This record gives sequence, C-alpha cells and structure tokens, in this order.
Amino acid sequence: MSGAVVELVGITKSFPGLIANDAIDLDLRPGEIHALLGENGAGKSTLMNVLTGIYQPDAGRIFMQGVPVRFASPKDAVAAGIGMVHQHFKLIRAFTVAENVHLGWQDTPFRTSAGLLEGRTRALAERFGLAVRPEARVEDLSAGEQQRVEILRVLARGARVLILDEPTAVLTPGEAAALVRALRGFVALGYAVIFISHKLDEVLEVADRITVLRAGRKVATLPAAECDQARLATLMVGRELGAGQRHSAGKRQLGPIVLQLAGVSANDERGVQALADVDLAVRGGEIVGVAGVAGNGQRELSEVLTGLRPVTEGQVRIGGQIMHHANPAEFLAAGIGHIPEDRLRSGLAPSMNVTDNAVMREYSRPPVTRGGLFSPGAAMTLARHIVADAQVLVPNMRAPVRNLSGGNQQRLVARREMRVAGQALVAVYPTRGLDIGAIDTMLRSIAEMRDRGVGVLLVSEELDELLGIADRVAVLFQGRIMGVFPTAEAEPERIGLLMGGRAEAA
Amino acid sequence: MIRLQRVSTVGPWIVVAARVLSVAAALLVGGAAFAVAGYDVPMLAGSVVRGSFDSLFGLEDLGLLFSPLILTGLAAAVALRIGLWNIGGEGQFYAGAIAATLTGLNLHGPTPVMLPLLALAGFAGGAAWVLVPALARAFLAIDEIITTLLLNFVAVLLVNYLCTGPLRDPAQAVTSASARIPYELPPLLDDLHWGLGGSVALVSVMAVLFARTRWGYEVRLSGANRHAARYAGIPVRRRLIQVLLLSGGLAGVAGMLEVVGTVHRLQGGISNNYGYLGIMVAVLAGGVPFAVLPAALLMAVILNAGTVLQAYGVSNYEVLALTGLVLLFTAMGERIAYYRLSRPMRA
Ligand SMILES: Nc1ncnc2c1ncn2[C@@H]1O[C@H](COP(=O)(O)OP(=O)(O)OP(=O)(O)O)[C@@H](O)[C@H]1O
Ligand SMILES: [Mg+2]
Repeated sequence: MSGAVVELVGITKSFPGLIANDAIDLDLRPGEIHALLGENGAGKSTLMNVLTGIYQPDAGRIFMQGVPVRFASPKDAVAAGIGMVHQHFKLIRAFTVAENVHLGWQDTPFRTSAGLLEGRTRALAERFGLAVRPEARVEDLSAGEQQRVEILRVLARGARVLILDEPTAVLTPGEAAALVRALRGFVALGYAVIFISHKLDEVLEVADRITVLRAGRKVATLPAAECDQARLATLMVGRELGAGQRHSAGKRQLGPIVLQLAGVSANDERGVQALADVDLAVRGGEIVGVAGVAGNGQRELSEVLTGLRPVTEGQVRIGGQIMHHANPAEFLAAGIGHIPEDRLRSGLAPSMNVTDNAVMREYSRPPVTRGGLFSPGAAMTLARHIVADAQVLVPNMRAPVRNLSGGNQQRLVARREMRVAGQALVAVYPTRGLDIGAIDTMLRSIAEMRDRGVGVLLVSEELDELLGIADRVAVLFQGRIMGVFPTAEAEPERIGLLMGGRAEAA
Repeated sequence: MIRLQRVSTVGPWIVVAARVLSVAAALLVGGAAFAVAGYDVPMLAGSVVRGSFDSLFGLEDLGLLFSPLILTGLAAAVALRIGLWNIGGEGQFYAGAIAATLTGLNLHGPTPVMLPLLALAGFAGGAAWVLVPALARAFLAIDEIITTLLLNFVAVLLVNYLCTGPLRDPAQAVTSASARIPYELPPLLDDLHWGLGGSVALVSVMAVLFARTRWGYEVRLSGANRHAARYAGIPVRRRLIQVLLLSGGLAGVAGMLEVVGTVHRLQGGISNNYGYLGIMVAVLAGGVPFAVLPAALLMAVILNAGTVLQAYGVSNYEVLALTGLVLLFTAMGERIAYYRLSRPMRA
C-alpha cells in the first residue's frame, strides 16, 4: 500500500479502564476526502490524536508514503505534513488573525511588524482560497471565520493531510458549503482530508470513502457511492435503527405562560445591540422552536431567558413573575434549565471531575448540601444517577470532564439541565455533537418534558429537527423575531426566506 | 534511539515524585555551585542537618520559621484556589502585625481573652490590607498581582514610620521598635510557642472548608471556570472578594503570631520575607492546603540552613538563591512529569 498518503496499522490506545482504539487500520489515499464515523465515544477523536502525535499508541504503526513514522509530539506531525483542526478551537482570542497564523511558526520572520504579518497572511489566504481578515481580532470573528483561520494556520505550515474534527457542527449551512468547496480544492492538489462528522447526509455528499468505528474497533471502510444513510447508521450502531419518528404530540392542554419576553432588547459583549424589541411567550407543555442562522441573536436570547444577560429594554417574566435582575441563581430557583451553546466555555469546568460537574446545578440543596456542608458522598451518588440516566460513557467519576468525548459531555450537560427545568428548558443546539442514536434519545427526552407540562424553547439550526418536534416556530434574524407560526403552517421555504431577512408580504 | 514523548495525564504519585526529585535536583545543583565557590559542601550539609534536627534548640528555630511559612503559604494557596495570585502576603503580614500591636498596646484584659482578640485583629489587619486590591479586581478587573505587590512597599514604609515615630519605645536606645506587647502565647517548647499548633489547625480548617462546604465548592468552581460558575448561579464576584480577604487575613494572622509570639514588639524587617516565601510554598504545594505543610517545612529547613551557614561565612543571598533554584526546578519538574522515554518500534 505504498500509494497511501497515510496508513495506520493496528493502532491500539487504551485509557485506564477502557480501550478507546482497538487495533484500528486505516489508509488514506491521495486526493480523497475520507470520513470517519461512529457513535459518541467510539474513539474517533482519540484515533486522530494518535495520528497527530498528541497521544502515543500502545501498539500499532503509522506509515507515510510507505515509510514508518513516529510522532512524539504534534510538532513532529506538523513537520511531516499532518495538520488538525480540533473539535474546540485553539486560537488566542485576544490576538489578530495574522498573529494567530504566525504564532509558533518557524517561518515567521525574525523581525516583524503588524503590516508584514498581515501581508503574509493575505497572501496565504489567497493561495488557499480561504477568505479571512488578517487584521481582525479572533474574539470578534464568527465560528466559521475562526475555523478558516484554524485551517489556514494548518495549511500555511505545509499540511498535506488535513484532519477536521466535527468541523460543520458550529457552522451555518452557507459556511459549511464554503468549507466543502475549500476542501475540494485542497484534495484536487493530490492532498487528503480526514473528516469527522455525525451528519450522515453531509458525509455522503462530501466524502469519497467512509470508515466506521464502533466501540473502539473499525467496522468497515466503504466507498461513499456504495452507502446510504440507513446502512451507515446500522454499521455505527450495530443494529437497525427505527426511522426517526416525529415527536409532536396530538391535541394537548397547554399550561400557563412560563417564559415571556416583552419588548426585550439586549446588547452583546461588545455593547452592540443583539436583540431588538423581542416579544415571545412559551407556555407550559409546548415546544417553541427558534429558527435562524447562527449569530442572529440566539446566544443573547437564551442568556436573557436564563439570567446570564441583562436586558437594556423590556421585561423578562418567568411563570408570570417579573425578573428584575439578571441573576442566574434566581432563574434556576424559578425552575429554568439551560443547555448552553458552548458547553466547554460556560456549561462545564473542564478541569474539574465528572462528579463536580454533574452536580453543578443542584449542589446548593439537599442531599448534596445540608446546613452549608457539602457532602462529597452525596454529590457522587447524585452524579452517578445523572450519568446513568444520560447514558454518559465515563472512565470514572473522578476523571476530569475534559477527558469525556464531545458527545458525552453534551449528554451530561443536557441531563443535568433537564433535571432542574421544572418550569422551562432553554435548549440551545442540544443535539450538537451527538451521534444519530443520541440525537433521537435527546429529542425524545425533550418531548417527554413537554408532555410533563414543561415549556421548552429549542434553538436549532436544523430546520428538519425543529419542524419535527416544535409546536410553534419563531424565526430570528438580526436580533428580531420575524414571525411565529404553528408548525403545521411553517413550510420550510417560507421559513428559509425569513431566516434570510426577507419580511413577509402582508 | 530513545525518544521523549508527552502524555496527557499522570497519576498523583508521579506528581509527588516529580516534586521530591525536583527539590533533590535543586539541592544537588546548589551544592555543586557551593563546591565550585570553594565551600566544603559535605561538611556544610552535615552541619545544617545537625543544626536543624540534632538539638532541641535547632528544632525550635525550625519551628519558629515553620509556623509563619505555613500561614503565608496557606494565604497564597487559598487565593490560588480561585485562580488569583496574592503577591501581597508580605504587606498583609505587616498589616496584621501592626493591627495586633496596636490592639495589644492599647487594650487591656486577661490573656485568654486578649489572645483571640489579637488574632482577630491580625486577621482584620491583613484582610483590610487586601481590601482595595480585592474590590479593584472584582469590579474593575484590575490585576491583583500588581496591586497586592505594590501595597507591600507601602506596608514596609508604614511599619518603619510607626517604629521610628508614634510607636517608638524610648527605652530602646539602639533599634527602633515599639514597646513590648504585654501578652504572650503559651510555650510549646522553651521558645517555640503555640502559634505552630494554631497554624496547623488553620491548615485543617482550610482543607475542610474547600472540600466539605458549599462555599468551598463554589470557590473551586469559580477558580476552574468563571463562566461556568456564573452560569451555575454562583456570585463569582463576591467569592473573589471573600477569598482574597481570607487570604489576606491568614497572612495577617502570621504577622500577629510573629509579633505577639516570637518578637514581642513591632519592628522593621520582622517579616523576614515570609510573605514572598509563602508564594513559593503555595506553588510547591500546588495550591493544596495540606500540601502546604511539607512545602513550608522544606522552606523552613532552607531558611534555617541559612542561619547555620552564616556561621561558616555563607551569605544570606547565597541561601536565598538556593530557594530560587528549588522553585525553578519544581516548575520544570511539573512539566517534565508529563514526558516519558520511549523506544521506537522497529520498522
Ligand atoms: N485523556 C483521556 N483519558 C481518559 N479517557 C479518555 C481520554 N480521552 C478520551 N477518553 C475516552 O475514550 C473514549 C473515546 O473518546 P473519543 O473522544 O475518541 O470519542 P469520539 O469518537 O471522538 O466521540 P464524540 O463523537 O463524542 O466526540 C471515550 O470513552 C472517552 O471518555
Ligand atoms: Mg470527538
């Protein structure tokens, strides 16, 4: 197999208590986009971390162009032409794009100036067909732009193999399409891409070949042309999956209004208005979907509803009660759960253990705390319970939460929040990073909450998902609600137009 | 060929071993430097060990250094729990000493009442000294490293002013110091007082506070991820202020114990750099309260060695350089603990 750009043979990697990769073989051909599929915790990220020198395999070999190689550190892998863009971006937020591209790069000139770095960055961006603004600060960029910077960083260092871990999870459909175009251009040069994703339709469209992992083992490598979604799902899960059912229920008695915004405006971090005069109400027992392209005020909407962000105008009411202060503790006490957009930044403390993270929303009441005293034993019991309920795969309860796979972190957060959502659940992209089986479980749990009389605000970019479960859909564009419809009247075309800012003719 | 490779997590024993080996390596390198400088290192080492551990007198000296180092180390470690660097232990130590002296000289009562009162005064003094940096940090995001550090110099000048001015004891001809404080801590040994017991007790209290109280959980979470803490409903700002006040207060108690238990008067230089050395203790201890004890003991042994070595013509600066080496090697050891040697596979 000397034709392979990269060949992995019998890669095995275990962590205390589990085998994350078990004798995995994989070959990557020049000019191909190779998708890596598998359930949460199947070992995809781990395998790529082995290939990029972050982890050392317990057994197995890596060949490049038929020559055995060994990467003691990511630096070695970069030198050999392997670059990775991680599930969570690693840019320095306070630096400019040009500075980030040149950081820790041996080709960076010894004497530099902002102008020089920006010029070089511009030239690189042109060469690789990635539109970036060299002088912009990373913290001001959208997820899609940040990702282009990450990719540019990798390509600038001469990558011939580009690895992307769930790259489209945080992208708008337009950004995802642009990414795919850039990848096509890259492989046309004879280079290769490994692409991890949970979106089967996207994988079938983008990939040339597909490798499926299950529980740390490789199940199959197939040409994409020979696959369909059902076959891939069966390979991943190991059994046939029922067709994704609709979760909307029939006629129900709606409860009183649990979440209400009246004329609410709010600013983003930089003080720019992000929500403008929003009126929205969610009743107990209904799911209100929020459709919209990411970055149109979704984050601010969810933060205003959970006490994380003050309003500049208008009123927030929870169960009829006016909330005068943006105080997350009060919203929690009122029975609001919140699955946040960015779990690692605001939903979890990655360096703390599973137990401490699992009890984050119930630590202050019995049984965990009694009379001001925190009981580690009771915390552990509660955490075990949450972990079991959510089917989170954990090495042990004392492991730092950053060691969980991305999808398992998401499950943990979601279950924790559902427990405290007595009145309402604000769920932002709750299925992000989940495998197809887990997405189904998640949507079913959300539907169950609705049936129990909880009001749910569900923010999602997946229109199908929204229309499949929501009772009503609100469309958000540039911080404004463009319209709210019963799902039955919400044709995807109409919503798509509103998402793009096209107001309805009366 | 054997190559280095990095691993992502290591067990607690590796961390402890790395600490111990780092300290040993620092002492070896320091010893080599002393040898090059012409000292008879084995002889010096022998006399240090004998001077520290062989006699009751040496042990007492060690104990007198140990106790303030525990507290200033604990002070810095407490701040580290919420991710803050309190560099102002020195100033808070002095502030605690001043508050205790003023209380001791001006209030009169039976010793069992006065001692807790003096400790309280010391705590309040240290906490007050860090109040402005704490508020600036919480409300204006002004870096606490700089503000706490700068206040150290103010505290040193204030003590010098008080001792040469308003508080100066006219009976003391040569040195400028305050009058003798009329209360003493009960002795543990001859000169060694119960301050040591109190310091160890405070370590346990802090350990329990962080591991077993709701407040402690909130502080740990705030230190690990401020955004997540806010999201969890924790008043992060309030916790930042409280932790810094607690940290300052502990350093203040160290100052009180020193002035009431050991020196009996307020005078310049009594801090003996305890405030700064406490930061090293906290770093060596990795911010863990119980680990402060061995770390402070090590620092006390090195300081005590300084006293012994001075008899052999070794200057105090050379000994301070040794403490610097220990810190340097510990920092390196912390990184190196994550590397393994590996043999490449045969192709
Ligand atoms: N550093 C680590 N220490 C211990 N266990 C780990 C570590 N990294 C990963 N694991 C475990 O290895 C397993 C595989 O994780 P991995 O991140 O590779 O999954 P994944 O296929 O990328 O899943 P996802 O789709 O959820 O991102 C998981 O059970 C995870 O908990
Ligand atoms: Mg992953």
